[in-house]
Amino acid sequence: MSNQKKRNFQIEAFKHRVVVDPKYADKTWQILERAIHQIYNQDASGLSFEELYRNAYNMVLHKFGDKLYTGFIATMTAHLKDKSKLIEAAQGGSFLEELNKKWNEHNKALEMIRDILMYMDRTYIESTKKPHVHPMGLSLWRDNVVHSPKIHSRLLNTLLDLVHKERTGEVIDRGLVRNVTKMFMDLGESVYQDDFEKPFLDASSEFYKVESQEFIESCDCGDYLKKAEKRLTEEIDRVGHYLDAKSEDKITSVVEKEMIANHMQRLVLMENSGLVTMLLNDKYEDLGRMYNLFRRVTNGLATVRDVMTSHLREMGKQLVTDPEKSKDPVEFNASNSSFEYFINLNARSPEFISLFVDDKLRKGLKGIADADVEVVLDKVMMLFRYLQEKDVFEKYYKQHLAKRLLSGKTVSDDAEKSLIVKLKTECGYQFTSKLEGMFTDMKTSEDTMRGFYGSHPELSEGPTLIVQVLTTGSWPTQPAVPCNLPAEVSVLCEKFRSYYLGTHTGRRLSWQTNMGTADIKAIFGKGQKHELNVSTFQMCVLMLFNNSDRLSYKEIEQATEIPAPDLKRCLQSLACVKGKNVIKKEPMSKDIGEEDLFCVNDKFTSKFYKVKIGTVVAQKETEPEKQETRQRVEEDRKPQIEAAIVRIMKSRKILDHNNIIAEVTKQLQPRFLANPTEIKKRIESLIERDFLERDNTDRKLYRYLA
Amino acid sequence: MNSIIAVFHQYSKTSSNLIDPQGIVLLCSDLDVSRTDITILMLAWKMKAEKQGYFTQEEWTRGLMALRADTLDKLRKALPELEKEVRTPSNFADFYAYTFRYSLTEKEQESIDIETICQLLDIVVGSTFRPQVDYFVEYLKIQNDYKVINMDQWMGFYRFCNEISFPDMSEYNPGPAWPLLLNNFVEWIRDKQA
Repeated sequence: MSNQKKRNFQIEAFKHRVVVDPKYADKTWQILERAIHQIYNQDASGLSFEELYRNAYNMVLHKFGDKLYTGFIATMTAHLKDKSKLIEAAQGGSFLEELNKKWNEHNKALEMIRDILMYMDRTYIESTKKPHVHPMGLSLWRDNVVHSPKIHSRLLNTLLDLVHKERTGEVIDRGLVRNVTKMFMDLGESVYQDDFEKPFLDASSEFYKVESQEFIESCDCGDYLKKAEKRLTEEIDRVGHYLDAKSEDKITSVVEKEMIANHMQRLVLMENSGLVTMLLNDKYEDLGRMYNLFRRVTNGLATVRDVMTSHLREMGKQLVTDPEKSKDPVEFNASNSSFEYFINLNARSPEFISLFVDDKLRKGLKGIADADVEVVLDKVMMLFRYLQEKDVFEKYYKQHLAKRLLSGKTVSDDAEKSLIVKLKTECGYQFTSKLEGMFTDMKTSEDTMRGFYGSHPELSEGPTLIVQVLTTGSWPTQPAVPCNLPAEVSVLCEKFRSYYLGTHTGRRLSWQTNMGTADIKAIFGKGQKHELNVSTFQMCVLMLFNNSDRLSYKEIEQATEIPAPDLKRCLQSLACVKGKNVIKKEPMSKDIGEEDLFCVNDKFTSKFYKVKIGTVVAQKETEPEKQETRQRVEEDRKPQIEAAIVRIMKSRKILDHNNIIAEVTKQLQPRFLANPTEIKKRIESLIERDFLERDNTDRKLYRYLA
Repeated sequence: MNSIIAVFHQYSKTSSNLIDPQGIVLLCSDLDVSRTDITILMLAWKMKAEKQGYFTQEEWTRGLMALRADTLDKLRKALPELEKEVRTPSNFADFYAYTFRYSLTEKEQESIDIETICQLLDIVVGSTFRPQVDYFVEYLKIQNDYKVINMDQWMGFYRFCNEISFPDMSEYNPGPAWPLLLNNFVEWIRDKQA
């Protein structure tokens, strides 16, 4: 306000002229106290809000806020103590009703009182930082009623009892329970949790512990799962009707733990009704239920997967041992998506199926009639169709096939070729072209060898070299590993190299020392003669002992130049495997240490003349190997996805995001299930490289750039 | 009549022939009334005084004749009666409106700033509608929509106090009948109550 204004009639802050008389404060308080009583006694209709408000206002104004506040607390407390006694006196079923009724009354009264004391709330309480009227009123209720010794446990037990009744089939008054749980929530989340939720969860845990034990003794797997599912649905329903929403996750965890997690193994392996039975009898609904329930618990699906896997292997074994049975198509009747679910649940299914085939093609199909062989292979194809990640299978298959071919371990060329034809029919030429290439290489190599020895007749004395020339694109890539070959061998290798390059100029050869094998004739200390079949690395190591009796690890490493991890594995297979320990190691520990000493095991014996020590059998991959394979598969998928995108965009010219994803997924489906995120990444990469562009107006539209 | 004028001259300034703010201070003191009491406003109303802080001889005479008081003593004794008269429903509305106009100090002024309004509310209706005034004053201080109050809003508040029960306000219907300021006010209270 500027001084210029002629505001001489200065209106000062209103100063009350009433004399401050201590008796005045008492009188005013009495009016208010009486009013509070009347409000609690449901007799408030005759009261004037304005008058009461003004009285409270005046008290605070005249610095009697203290008296007002303490008076309010004392009066309310006294009332609540009375109410508490009334509630305690209620019999049986009316206990909860009485509590609920008094709670509602208290809330209404509290509201009115708060309105009357609003001035105190805003001024006196603000400055003294004491609890405001409304929260104070709730605390008083909590302390004097809910936590009163005679009510506290009775209340909890009554509620838990009702829940139990409902669980055993009785109908209860849900609205009443909801009001009470809501009361807990209004009093504070910690009150709800401590005074109700925690004991509720404990009681539920007990209940389901007992019930699940009963059920599992008396029901079969399918029925048990039905019951478990029903209980789960019930509990969720219960929360919706009369518990706080935050309890849902907690109670479902309890049910999942007691009914499912604690009995997982027993359920899955249950005789005549467990997972295997469900699969064999096409119990798709049960399987689906099992999947949905087990998915909720840690390791639930892992348990299922493991059983599935062993089952698959068992089935495979059974097929072979009982050819009659293998003619029965019912066993493999898996024409439903739940089977597909399971097969693809296990990320290792492609690997395992390939291993199964490998096993068969090495020895399993030995001596079995051709027709039966066909049946086995057809069944393999059936499984193959369900795989979503066919390209992973292809990778493993290639690896295993390579090993089979190179070690000469395939039991039947015809069986191999037959399977490839089946794969070709299923997946097209591209899928199998490389596999066929591998066979071609083997054949060509045979011809090459004949040519080599034909033109070098002097080499028929001395060590025989058999070379397989592998075309790089067709075979699984391995980095070339350095290795010093023994002199006799390297001379031969050089001769071959010049022969080959003489007839095939412009090509490059690199020796894959980690893939070769050797047959060595050995004479041991007591004159035992054996022919040892070993890997190339092992041969290099063994040949060193022609010139030295004892060698240290370091000396061997230096002489052979084989990288440490491969060398260690090689030495382990020569020195630490019972029945195959042609080398002695000091100390006799299982692991290869850099200070170890080696010498020939003169005491070596074996029943057989020919002893195989190679480590070339296809095995289940170790974790790091698995990761590597996985990574390679992912890398290979990228260009395939891009090719699909470009193909589609070229023909459609303009397409929106969701449709591209759908089309690409469809196109790639014969090979693998494309990940939408990955597809998006590829699209963006293509945009960067100007194959596509985004539409200016609609960000979700893409255009093909010619 | 002469005595009335005589009393007038006890407080007026000779040069202007007006009782000015200083004179009013003296008058209040002699009447045993606080300057900020509603009483002096009631007196002004009775006189139909036009300018806040000043009484003309004409206004003075009008007022005292209506009160039948020709001495200071008689005037003092007439005050309680005056209050009763003002507080009759029909008069009070008029009085309430008058206090607003009386507070407009500049020629073309049509609204009054928030701070003054708050004080005015307290004096004029604070004793009759304590809670409403408390709430409204708090609201006026924190809201940002209005920096001044006009006559329509001033009267709206009076109607609100008389027609709407407080604090439940169940009969309140936001609509063209009420100034926007009061709609916002009611909404603010409802939010607080929730």
